[in-house]
Amino acid sequence: MADAYILGIESSCDETAAAVVRSGEQIVSNVVFSQIAMHQPYGGVVPELASREHLKAIIPVVREALADAGKDYQSIDALAVTQGPGLAGALLVGISYAKALAFALDKPLIAVNHLEGHIHAVLLEERQKGSFSSSEHKLNFPVLALVVSGGHTHLYLAQQQGESWSYENIGHTRDDAAGEAFDKVAKLLALGYPGGPIIDKLSTHGDPTAVKFPPSQIKHPDRRHQGGGVESGDRPRMDFSYSGIKTAVLRYIEMHGLQGAIDDRRRALSDIAQPKLEDYIANCDRQSLDLVASFQRAMVDDLVGKTLAAARAYDAATLFVTGGVAANNELRQGFERESAMEGLPVYFPSRPLSTDNAAMIAAAAYPKFLSGDFAPLDFSAEAGLALK
Amino acid sequence: MSTQEFTTHSAEETIALGRKLAGMLAPPKVVLLRGELGAGKTTLVKGIAEGFQAASADNVTSPTFTLVHEYRGPEVNVYHIDLYRVDTPRQLETLGIDDLIAENSVLLIEWGDKFPSLQRDQNAEITLKHSGNERTGDERRIQLRIY
Repeated sequence: MADAYILGIESSCDETAAAVVRSGEQIVSNVVFSQIAMHQPYGGVVPELASREHLKAIIPVVREALADAGKDYQSIDALAVTQGPGLAGALLVGISYAKALAFALDKPLIAVNHLEGHIHAVLLEERQKGSFSSSEHKLNFPVLALVVSGGHTHLYLAQQQGESWSYENIGHTRDDAAGEAFDKVAKLLALGYPGGPIIDKLSTHGDPTAVKFPPSQIKHPDRRHQGGGVESGDRPRMDFSYSGIKTAVLRYIEMHGLQGAIDDRRRALSDIAQPKLEDYIANCDRQSLDLVASFQRAMVDDLVGKTLAAARAYDAATLFVTGGVAANNELRQGFERESAMEGLPVYFPSRPLSTDNAAMIAAAAYPKFLSGDFAPLDFSAEAGLALK
Repeated sequence: MSTQEFTTHSAEETIALGRKLAGMLAPPKVVLLRGELGAGKTTLVKGIAEGFQAASADNVTSPTFTLVHEYRGPEVNVYHIDLYRVDTPRQLETLGIDDLIAENSVLLIEWGDKFPSLQRDQNAEITLKHSGNERTGDERRIQLRIY
């Protein structure tokens, strides 16, 4: 089959992004417009959430993606856009623009679930490296995918029929997403935003066994039971919960009188325009470093432990770990170590493809392109879109 | 104005209270949810969304990153909004919260105190306080005020 160049557009939350991907296996261009870096020096958490901002960014971002790819509107084979989940207003900007473009150019339009995009980011990069290209080294199903970010913590079991992928959600967070716990703990400890990268770096300077956090308790009142047939029989749900550990960190701060040191740190760091790792270390007492390291260890143990338990219960052949939190070093090491012991191949996206981007949307659209799964022109944004 | 106070001792009790509060929050309502990190705001919303048959407790998750979560019930739509990450009135405006206010909607807004415009729109307020200690355990005081 001839190469297919798909233009992907993503505007589900903070980032406006566009990318051109060839046949789900090569990133030709990848443009992400984000304001996090711009606002970081002010210490404020200012997300680029506004649909109005997406509106301003979308045309230049798409133009840049096409120019970087050496393509024009006519030489694209199809368009792909995020349908959900996300902010309705933000999603609508991408969808309306993609629809208008597809209609004007008379090209097929493909609607993609944002979470499916994160899963295909892994596949895209592996294919780009030449993986899964021969019958000896093919991608084995079912694929278990952990999508873990600031807004999401989901486990999906993915199967393939023909070219199409299908997904079963076998676990999700009951309260806070894992990335949110990282950010809120960083905020509690005056470590800035976003919290994940700095906690990851500081954790190597503290004792991860210093503070014991109780494992998260999940009750399963809705466990599918009785007469559900073989499928739903003994296959457990693998839900997560990270609200408790955030509260546990807060109580620890209160009980051990850490607030004074935290306030001192907040003041000291606010005097530094762009604090570096050394500045953080210089302003962290032993207790704070130990708390940070212990928190991260507890998060990693929980994510790795539950995911590998799910891999066993569902007989997964391959493991994908994706989303912003997949960039965490200790998490990667934990997954690499534990899945090697089980003989389970594990794959992660590179750092740029871990966070929101449009290359993953264009990549996830490729199987749908092959199977002719195109979106009708009257489809709309679905803020709470489930992945199936 | 009416004020009522409740005490809960576990997440289950907080969810059960939320179901009960749903009966007292006849739409249209703009409710400011007050309480520090870990006070139990999302847990209470689980119960309120269940009370309106808009979602099951397990499917109500924190909107801190995703900003707005929408739960559609047979009669009432529940919007759980978290403005923790939102700093300026301009950002708030572009979120389009005004568009969500309707005859059949209940808006539950965390960290809404930051914005005078929301304080103007609010017609109810729920305040949560973690009041637990070694003797009382996981105790929370929850106050509902309807204007």
